[in-house]
Amino acid sequence: MLELKHISKIYNPGLVTEMCLFDDFNFTVNDGEFVSVIGSNGSGKTSMLNIICGSIPVNAGEVLINGKCVNKKKDFERYAYIGRVYQNPSMGNCPNMTILENMSLADNKGKPFGLSFALNKKRYDFYREQLASLGLGLEDKLHVKMGSLSGGQRQAVSLIMATLTPIDFLILDEHTAALDPKTAEIIMELTDKVVKQKKLTAVMVTHNLRYAVEYGTRLVMMDRGNIILDKAGEDKKNTSIDDILEIFNKISIECGN
Amino acid sequence: MKKIKITVAVILAAITLFFVGCTAKKDKVPVIGISQYGEHASLDNCREGFLLGLKEAGLTEGKDYTIDYQNASFDNATATQIANNFSSKNVALMCAIATPSATACYAAAEDKNIPVVFNAITDPGEAGLTTGNITGVSDKLPVDPQLELIRKLQPDAKTIGIIYTTSEPNSVSAIAEYKEKAGNYGFTIEAIGVADQASVTQAADTLINKNVDCITNLTDNNVVGVLPSILEKTNAAGIPVYGSEIEQVKKGCVASAGIDYIELGKMAGKLAAEILKGEAKASDLPYETVTEYNTYINSDAATAMGITVPSDVAAKAIECK
Amino acid sequence: MLDLIISTLTQGFIYALLSFGVYITYKILDFPDLTVDGSFPLGAAVTAVLLVKGVNPFLSLLVSLLVGALAGFVTGFIHVRLKVRDLLSGIITMTALFSINLQIAGSNLSIAREIDTVFTSPVTMSVFGSMSLILRKLIVSAIIMIVCKVLLDLYFKTKNGFLLRAVGDNSVLVTSLSKDKGRIKIIGLVISNALVALSGAVACQEQRSFSATMGTGQIVFGLAAVIIGTTLFRRVSFIKGTTAVIFGSVIYKACIQIAISLGLPANLLKLITAVLFLLILVLGNFQKGSVKKNVRA
Repeated sequence: MLELKHISKIYNPGLVTEMCLFDDFNFTVNDGEFVSVIGSNGSGKTSMLNIICGSIPVNAGEVLINGKCVNKKKDFERYAYIGRVYQNPSMGNCPNMTILENMSLADNKGKPFGLSFALNKKRYDFYREQLASLGLGLEDKLHVKMGSLSGGQRQAVSLIMATLTPIDFLILDEHTAALDPKTAEIIMELTDKVVKQKKLTAVMVTHNLRYAVEYGTRLVMMDRGNIILDKAGEDKKNTSIDDILEIFNKISIECGN
Repeated sequence: MKKIKITVAVILAAITLFFVGCTAKKDKVPVIGISQYGEHASLDNCREGFLLGLKEAGLTEGKDYTIDYQNASFDNATATQIANNFSSKNVALMCAIATPSATACYAAAEDKNIPVVFNAITDPGEAGLTTGNITGVSDKLPVDPQLELIRKLQPDAKTIGIIYTTSEPNSVSAIAEYKEKAGNYGFTIEAIGVADQASVTQAADTLINKNVDCITNLTDNNVVGVLPSILEKTNAAGIPVYGSEIEQVKKGCVASAGIDYIELGKMAGKLAAEILKGEAKASDLPYETVTEYNTYINSDAATAMGITVPSDVAAKAIECK
Repeated sequence: MLDLIISTLTQGFIYALLSFGVYITYKILDFPDLTVDGSFPLGAAVTAVLLVKGVNPFLSLLVSLLVGALAGFVTGFIHVRLKVRDLLSGIITMTALFSINLQIAGSNLSIAREIDTVFTSPVTMSVFGSMSLILRKLIVSAIIMIVCKVLLDLYFKTKNGFLLRAVGDNSVLVTSLSKDKGRIKIIGLVISNALVALSGAVACQEQRSFSATMGTGQIVFGLAAVIIGTTLFRRVSFIKGTTAVIFGSVIYKACIQIAISLGLPANLLKLITAVLFLLILVLGNFQKGSVKKNVRA
């Protein structure tokens, strides 16, 4: 379970540019949920992910993972529980290393990374099997450098890498935004498959309203640091894109856009 | 892909060909390899003197010897490569000017036991260049004559400022000698050590601020290298600067009881000639130290500082402008 | 004239150790580490003092290596924990090392011929005693260099080595793998400067002297060797980075030797090396242009 309690986040405190994003912000993700988060730019979606992952500090409040406060833990320590796929397909892997080397890096997450050899032939079949599940033929390109793959292929491998070892949460940070519509569709389907297959708890930030409606078990809409819509279960299933769009337009008018 | 292989092959082949090509030419006339640490007036004088010394000893270039001159542009790694170059060419003798070149030549000559004649080293013992097939000439500073000269030119002076580089063994030993002997002439020494050339002018400011009566130089490359900017400051403050050799007096120092580097080079040249003729071995020849010094005066600079040169000094002195 | 080739190779091999260090920081970690100009003479200072005191020459190499590692740690600590920019943290350590080196060695030191170095020690003589000194210098420096190269190549294949490569490639991934990227950077700097100091120590034993200024410009040499090597062998996939660096180091030293042998004006030596350097880079760029995909990689 992931909980954000009474979070307050102020950017540039004390300066003319001071901006209060979150004031007593509360958010809980239960185990097994697949939450889609939507909202206009500046609504606080990415800030929320960064607060969860520890990339930015909070001014007040607590972040709890499985009931334990992780405020004091650094970002790399929190990633022991979290897997993350970024908007930029090159953030989730090493371009100058081969697919095989990248897979072995991901495979060793949570282990000590000592002086034993990184590549283990016994694991090759497992890597191939994982890559084959993508259906992109990457299982035959183990020795190809990551940098020579297309954005979509790299994002697919990033997804597999982020979920290769057991994790408590999967964070998807607009992970289809940099891809062309067709590839985005494929990656989104793959994401859904992986989340279901591995029974992951996931938080997905997206600008694509259709994905938010079609995929996931819960839909959250944010605006200026507040949650203004939260639908789960049957309630969510009965929500259409048009309903969402209507709310979206309303906020935009209030903002003067 | 092919292009690249060709490029690589061509470069490697060119290098190999070059080295092989070198093998072809062989001179019968013995070669003297001169390794000079860098281009610098006193070091150039050493080399010039060395060549004169060889001639005065009755040897003719082209018939009795040929010269292979290299300088390392003040870079130690290059000095090492120059020395290796000489060693692999089996030169008959290496002439090394200044300490880094001498240590490099000495190390490279070890295997083939090629004789080394060094030049312009203040303290060959300190530099570890006294045993083995090596000899040369030391340019140890004439500390006593210099102090005597300053006393004659500035009868009332009490403190002498000196700037030196702490990493130069030559300078460190010279400072020790100055401190030891200053009392005999009624002086105290105000020495300031610097780590690099950039700090020298700041050290000069400090000395001026401490109201030293004059400044005297060592043969410290870092200090001598920025002499004009030191003089600019001291001239403004009215503090006379004494040089350690002729070139510094030419640049505007008041006076110097200094070594004539051409003479020094000649001494080295004669040592080398003895070795080449087979009259002696470098290992048997102890290194030589200059015993005679010249007094150099720059009267314009002296007048500007309000110094009257006593007639007995002026009579012996060589005027430099 | 075989001697000339041998002594040039010897120089190339000794300085290849330094180039390995620069390869790790510049090519793998993407960290412009200027500590090199200080850690190279540091290794030389330590080994010179130990040799003069009568310590076993091989042991003195090991001590130099460890002291160099410490220098790398200091740079890493300043950068990672005190959050000083990479270039500056190297400059700080390098500047401090200038004084420290002199403190260690007293002043410029030379090592008398009576003192054994790794090239003349009883152990070396018992194996290679029948060879000439020049040849022994080549063999011993080649052995030291190859041992380091093989160990380094093996390290790059370990899990820890993978992380090191990943930090330079994409540090975000290292954080995602729940590893402290700062610590990995420090490890890289430690290994790099240990190798650089070892290079300084071997160079000191070879030329039997230490001077405070012997480190000046070594980073430039190291970068040149790495770039020449990796550019020339960019498209030859079976050649490892470390191998390419050895070639780079030897080629650079050979170019200087050629300039000396041709009797080119000594004061132009650096200019000639700069032109050669540029030439190789430009050649490399033309190769790069022919294969579009690789421009970024």
